[in-house]
Amino acid sequence: MKNNLLVPFLGILSFIFIASSCVKDTDFDQAQDIVLTPVVELNLIHFDLEAEDFYDEVAMTERLTVQDSTQIRFLDDSGFQESLVRAEFFFRFKNSIPRDFDVAFQFLDSLQQQTYFTGTSVNQGSAGNEVVTEFTQNVEGEDLLLLTTSDRVVVSVTIPTSGPNLEGNLKLQSKATYFFEIKEQEE
Amino acid sequence: MKYLIFIFMAFLLCSAFAQNKQVLYGLEQVPQSLLLNPGINVPQKAHFGIPLFSQFHINAGMTGVSVFDIFGESSVDINTRIRNKIFELEATDFFSATQQLEIINFGWRARNGIYFSGGVYEELDFIVYFPKDLAVLAYEGNQDYIGVPFDLGQISTTGDLMTVFHFGANKQVSEKLTLGARAKLYSSLFSFKSTNNEGTFITREGDEDSENIYEHTIENLDASVQTSGYASLRDMDGASQVTKEILGRALFGGNVGVGVDVGATYKVTEKITTSASILDLGVIFHTKDVESYRASGTYTLDGIELLFPPIGEGEPTFPYYEDLEDEFEREIPIDTLTSGYTQLRPVKVNASVSYTFGRRIGSSGVCDCLNMGDDVKRNQAVGLQFYGISRPKGLQMAGTFFYYRRLWDVLSAKATYTVDPYSNSNVGLGLVADLGKVNFYIAADNLLRYGNLAKANNVSLQLGINIKIENE
Repeated sequence: MKNNLLVPFLGILSFIFIASSCVKDTDFDQAQDIVLTPVVELNLIHFDLEAEDFYDEVAMTERLTVQDSTQIRFLDDSGFQESLVRAEFFFRFKNSIPRDFDVAFQFLDSLQQQTYFTGTSVNQGSAGNEVVTEFTQNVEGEDLLLLTTSDRVVVSVTIPTSGPNLEGNLKLQSKATYFFEIKEQEE
Repeated sequence: MKYLIFIFMAFLLCSAFAQNKQVLYGLEQVPQSLLLNPGINVPQKAHFGIPLFSQFHINAGMTGVSVFDIFGESSVDINTRIRNKIFELEATDFFSATQQLEIINFGWRARNGIYFSGGVYEELDFIVYFPKDLAVLAYEGNQDYIGVPFDLGQISTTGDLMTVFHFGANKQVSEKLTLGARAKLYSSLFSFKSTNNEGTFITREGDEDSENIYEHTIENLDASVQTSGYASLRDMDGASQVTKEILGRALFGGNVGVGVDVGATYKVTEKITTSASILDLGVIFHTKDVESYRASGTYTLDGIELLFPPIGEGEPTFPYYEDLEDEFEREIPIDTLTSGYTQLRPVKVNASVSYTFGRRIGSSGVCDCLNMGDDVKRNQAVGLQFYGISRPKGLQMAGTFFYYRRLWDVLSAKATYTVDPYSNSNVGLGLVADLGKVNFYIAADNLLRYGNLAKANNVSLQLGINIKIENE
């Protein structure tokens, strides 16, 4: 008699254990609202140009524009593109050459086409007296989309006049601040 | 992400506290309690588990955070809640999951009084500690943490999938003492381990002499991951192929290890009984299909230095970016080793003391003259239990208070209150029914949270069916 009752009793009890356990007052759709917003500070490029780099001692001619470039592979990475909402570039020049400079930053895509451009002028310094010029470029919106299709930056440094006896250094330090919003991608 | 959360929830829905089966421990009516203490008093003459149904156990638990903490309906923005939790949690908080499925379990009492038992079960065991610094870095970035070191050594995780073959003996050696031991043979199908890592990441503001504005430095990194059973899976394509391979290893295809369980029960007085067991005192020798990775070194990233080489129009310049990547790989090399390693199993310790009282059982309450005091049983008991398990960042412990009561001849119940790393309000209940030869048991803990599992740090449900043949 007891046994007959017990089987359904245990069955029901097991069922209650499993069925009564529930997840309440939760809203998993909130997962869509999860946004990670890291702000990353990262060094970019740096250089140390000497005044003699602007004069070709073999050919005895001025070299008014010197140019170099590097890949920045992560810029056009698709995850980076989707998550980046703003980038702030900061350039610090220290100039002890008695000339003003024009410095241009050209961003190129993989087909070598220019997608974004920025530049600044650098104040002249003097021997033993480094003059600091700082330049900040904020990139967002439409410009950011263009910037993140590039994977290479070309740096051109232009001096108005040069000569064999010019002395001093032009140094660049730079960093970028990347503002991300990382969230679930629309499917 | 959403799917991950659902899988995670599914885990939680039928889960138990990390290997601590506090409800089953000492519950001698359930043959599986022999696996928690090989030296328990075994009342039956023989038993065998219904293959694949004799014990199913799955758990997942988190310390410091519940699903409700993050996904509960609230006026506070979910991102604020996540951020607060990240800062509230410590690097010693962890998420752990264990799942066991008993394939075979059997036992019988030999003529010399020894109760032999054996079987096969499959076990999956996983633990990951909360890498707090990395979580902060991922969530916030480094802008607000210039000059603050991030500890990369907080990464600590292990995972194992194995088949365990076991055989044990149990004997009541004297009126008061019962001893038992069990030999185990592990067949590891898959294993990984990354513990004892070191290193920091720091972004410092550069000084006058610095090449660039910041110095991003990885300092004294020494991080490693040991894997076995992974290298051969890596090149397979498709989940079905991987599943097939893993199942193929389930018998003796994997890396082999040995271990023992020992246990004892001692009757101090007629009413007071103590017991203790040490489980999985063993090692696995990973010799086949082993691959370990170790990254070490110190590296400072200054950014890319342009050298302006005098080159003609259209000529390529130096591959600065590749050079930087090469430099990083040179300074922080990742070595791949295939030498074997030995892995200690997480040792588990159980201990208990109990006091029995109430009505005598097994004698219908009348004269019990033939029973000369060696097996006086009462229908109620209270006691304390201790549980400990060795984990990468030290011993994890739990304490349990229990009340046991035999309700009818066929039905017993045990209620537990447990304090453990997950919570201090864990109430559990187990029921065992002996219906003729059929032995059915169900045990659940964290009952207070059953109304809303989202608020639980962990919950459990274990159940199984055995056939038991009682002593005449």
